[in-house]
Amino acid sequence: MARAFLRRLALSLGVVWLVTVLVFVSTEILPGDALQVSLTADEAAQMTEDDFARRRAELGLDRPAPARYAGWLLAAAKGDFGTTIIGKADVTEVIAYPLRNSVLLCLVTALVAIPAALAIGIAAAYWRGRAPDFAASSGAILGYSIPEFASGNFLILCFAIWVPVFPAVITAFTKDPPSVLLGAAFLPVLTVVIGSIAHLVRLVRAGFIEALNSDYVERARLAGASRLRIILRHALPASVIPALNSAALYVAGLLSGIIVVEKVFGYPGLGLVLINAVEKREVAVVQAVSLIAAVIVVAMNLLADAAVMALDPRARSR
Amino acid sequence: MSFLEVKGLGVGYRRPDGRLGPAVIDAAFSLAEGESLGLVGESGSGKSTLARALLGYCRPGGVITSGEILLEGEDIRKLDGAGIRRLRGGRVAFVPQNPLSSLTPHLRVGSQVAEAVRIHRRCGAEEARQATLELFAAVNLPDPAALYDRFPHELSGGQRQRVVISAALAGEPRLVVLDEPTTALDKTTEIQVLELVRSLRDRFKATLVYVSHDLNVVAEMCDRVLVMLQGRVVEQGATTRVYRAPAHDYTRRLIAAVPRIDRAAQAVAPAAGGEPILAVADLAYRYATRRRWPWSRGADDGRPALAGVSFAVAAGETLGLVGESGSGKSTAAAVIAGLIAPDGGNLRFAGKPLPTLASARDPATRRRIQIIFQDPLSSLNPRHRIEAILARPLALFHGLAGAAARKRAGELLGQLQLDPAFLDCYPRQLSGGQQQRVAIARAFAADPDLIICDEITSALDVSVQAQVLELLKSLQRRSGAACLFISHDLGVIAQVAARVVVLRDGTVRETGATAEVFRRPADPYTRTLVDAATRGYASLPDLPGTSAAANGTEP
Amino acid sequence: MRIDPFALRKPAALLGLALVAIHLVLALFSPWIAPFDPTELVGGRVDPPGGEFLLGTDALGRDYLSRLLHGGRMALFVTFTGVVAAVTAGSLAGIAAAWFGGTLDDVLMRLCDVKLALPGILFVSLFITGFGESFGVLVTLIGLVYFPGVIRIVRAQALTQVNLGYVKAAQLRGESAFSIIAREILPNTLDVVYVEFAIRMSHAVLLLSTMSYLGLGLSPPTPDWGLMVSEGVGQLAFAPWLVLFPAVFISTLVIGLNFGAEALAGALGLDASRGHVGGT
Repeated sequence: MARAFLRRLALSLGVVWLVTVLVFVSTEILPGDALQVSLTADEAAQMTEDDFARRRAELGLDRPAPARYAGWLLAAAKGDFGTTIIGKADVTEVIAYPLRNSVLLCLVTALVAIPAALAIGIAAAYWRGRAPDFAASSGAILGYSIPEFASGNFLILCFAIWVPVFPAVITAFTKDPPSVLLGAAFLPVLTVVIGSIAHLVRLVRAGFIEALNSDYVERARLAGASRLRIILRHALPASVIPALNSAALYVAGLLSGIIVVEKVFGYPGLGLVLINAVEKREVAVVQAVSLIAAVIVVAMNLLADAAVMALDPRARSR
Repeated sequence: MSFLEVKGLGVGYRRPDGRLGPAVIDAAFSLAEGESLGLVGESGSGKSTLARALLGYCRPGGVITSGEILLEGEDIRKLDGAGIRRLRGGRVAFVPQNPLSSLTPHLRVGSQVAEAVRIHRRCGAEEARQATLELFAAVNLPDPAALYDRFPHELSGGQRQRVVISAALAGEPRLVVLDEPTTALDKTTEIQVLELVRSLRDRFKATLVYVSHDLNVVAEMCDRVLVMLQGRVVEQGATTRVYRAPAHDYTRRLIAAVPRIDRAAQAVAPAAGGEPILAVADLAYRYATRRRWPWSRGADDGRPALAGVSFAVAAGETLGLVGESGSGKSTAAAVIAGLIAPDGGNLRFAGKPLPTLASARDPATRRRIQIIFQDPLSSLNPRHRIEAILARPLALFHGLAGAAARKRAGELLGQLQLDPAFLDCYPRQLSGGQQQRVAIARAFAADPDLIICDEITSALDVSVQAQVLELLKSLQRRSGAACLFISHDLGVIAQVAARVVVLRDGTVRETGATAEVFRRPADPYTRTLVDAATRGYASLPDLPGTSAAANGTEP
Repeated sequence: MRIDPFALRKPAALLGLALVAIHLVLALFSPWIAPFDPTELVGGRVDPPGGEFLLGTDALGRDYLSRLLHGGRMALFVTFTGVVAAVTAGSLAGIAAAWFGGTLDDVLMRLCDVKLALPGILFVSLFITGFGESFGVLVTLIGLVYFPGVIRIVRAQALTQVNLGYVKAAQLRGESAFSIIAREILPNTLDVVYVEFAIRMSHAVLLLSTMSYLGLGLSPPTPDWGLMVSEGVGQLAFAPWLVLFPAVFISTLVIGLNFGAEALAGALGLDASRGHVGGT
């Protein structure tokens, strides 16, 4: 079992390394270099060749690409993502608190979404073909068909403007303590839960139906086991496995949702930082955020693999 | 009052359009305490549905529509939820067909049996554990304490079935319903499990309902037999009476279609002398395990699939290759066909060395060696009409196209007693037997000198099997092609092959004339196989003509 | 395609197909249907719905109905082009990976892993930082985002066939790899490809409109629903329709695509959730 897990771990590290190559190549090598990318056309027009050369030398952009990549990778591994080109701010400092805030939002969302998805998926499977199933399936399609920026603004309209229970825009500051941030995060969390739960519900439902139709559930039922026992002991663990196997997709969807709601509600997280950085072409920040997100997705996937191994003895000996 | 009495039982399954399709129609029978009843029929006959109904249960989508099921005078259809749960696994127990899929994969086998014990004996955890260990011992599982903590996938097929049987015994049932309990097992394992079931029945004085498609097994296990056809009971009575003097025409055909090794069939014998069409010598093959890392070498674990296998097939003859699962017989077929390259040994075809992979063989050689696969549906491309399926080899090997190809394809279907109108059908529109006959037609379309048949009838019902085998033999005689016939069923081999090679664990155990080998096996393993295959014959009558079923039409 | 007519007669399927059809007609014919030029300043600022401007005007005084009718054109064109490219290339690559295996398979699978690690919005942001938001870049990015996922699905479907009798029989007849892929494997993969196309279209429409909303996709003055929502947010309190109308247009299109994909999958028999029927 330990060997199987170590193998996954090594594969995951390989994926992260490939992501660093992709991030670096797509932002610094293919389009030219970070300096050209970050300058507007007006600024570029005012600069002479000598100015370019001097700025490049300042930023270390005159070195060959592999050397720059190696330098960037080593620094990033130590948590140093360089400085922004325009404000010369330390990127690590720029993203530290927003990262904390986004992780907080992610955790709360997952804590709400996962149990809810399990409950809805199982109810839909248990009463399949009947009203609860129809409601869950249609609701799921509606949930992931409506973009988060639309449902988020709709919630603002309903619960901040028409019935003013929550603030329309979050007034919390980046460095506020978690309790303040969470107090303001009800609508954002609700928005992401609605948008991201659908996929999980469908996976759990399908997995549970498969388990209910299985030979082992039939055997247990014909051995006189009660419904509750069959559901909890025999069917449930097996039905979670397909959902766990596509955990990477779910986490990726969750992160996308978080980026959007941060913009919609003005939540001071990494998503807002990212959007501003892309607009200003702050390459170092975009690189850092992409890398962090990839590490989170890969790590969650690894965690899901471990959970599958815990639930399914066959996965352990594989 | 009988122990079990079923009256006017009907079961239906909900179809996609919402209506009920009948699966069991007006079934009635009764059974005395301690008797055993065999439910016999082919696939789709409703025998498994009837068996499940005895526990007041239907598969998802099914409903019991009518009738009474009286167990010791009490109608189990009238029981409430708690009553039916006490009945299931208590007075009536169920043993399913596939022991691997019937055990919950993420639970230890001991705890699954203990669960049944706790439900029906209402005892504590420790007591249930002791009872489970006793049950494990009762079904002859080795080292019960160690097995208790294993997961289902860590057990062998026979062990799993013993675990499932022990779980069924947990509630000390009066009636045990067994649904094809040995179909997923090898013949030699099947004997042991049957032996166990019989000894347990005697010990616990339980009444048995035994579902099987295998008439031999039913003859051996059951006092009474009930024959089903398309949801209806067509005949029932004492096993010896039904087998010796079947009243219904269908029963007669079913019994006649059972392939038997004690009956001299007109097997296809070699033409006079000459060089063999195929000679393999010292064939070796080992499954490569998938490399875990790019730099690591594939580890060789487990036994080789083939080790030093040699045999020859004479022109025009049928050579049987017989063995249990894992014996390497299908690997041998894949090597000779050119699907996989062997790790050692050499192949000669018509006197010349045969390149290993099909892609390395010249087109004429590819034409001369054809293979027919086990699963008829997946061997035909579902997106091609039968005409296109047959036209492809005709175009590739004989340059036939258009009307000429269609005419020839129609003739081939005719030789297999299929309506040429099937040319415009898709494979899915045909029954399993018809699909397999199309696959045979495709192989013969190439006009081959050697046909490899890899378990071609094991997915078919017994009456269809008899028909397919007869057609294969007649086509083979007409074309003069030799045949390498691979099967796990000695009866089938006896019917088609003049000579036989017995394989076990990738090595040849015995070779010789089929009649001789099966009558006087020299190797102890062959003897075990022959013993297993001849069980239950005592009650099978000698009805005239084994080919009676071949002349009948498929249902 | 073997279509099961029963599955298409369900209300959800009909609703989905109808929504997609309406949106297609609007996108194709909006220049003739729309009463005004969507970029011309024809009315007052934020006129409420009713009167001369059926659905009011936006903050610059442009006719909102005309903008809504035009709002799907560009997005559908970009996503359609990108998704067609992704599904075509992904299908071929997926079948090739399944058939040839080996290094090609390994390389493509690692590619999929890398893409899977980056959420769509981040993937697009990364490239937009370097390349800007031009039309060509957006089409390419939509193609790149969905390419690996299609490979995965199609590869899995093709892998189930590699060991089936009809493929082995073709191999033994000496058919070329091209012939085996084109004649034997591809026809049995197309069902999955069609469904995949419908699902990816819905994802792509969502992704592109989200990018536009965030200011990283289509740029003004192109009429686009995502952009219109972001432009209307400022007036949410007193002119909520500026946000609600485009939101309804996007949502109905995506709902239509999803119900349509579901219906297609059901009609092609790909829905695994149906209980099994019959048997002995």
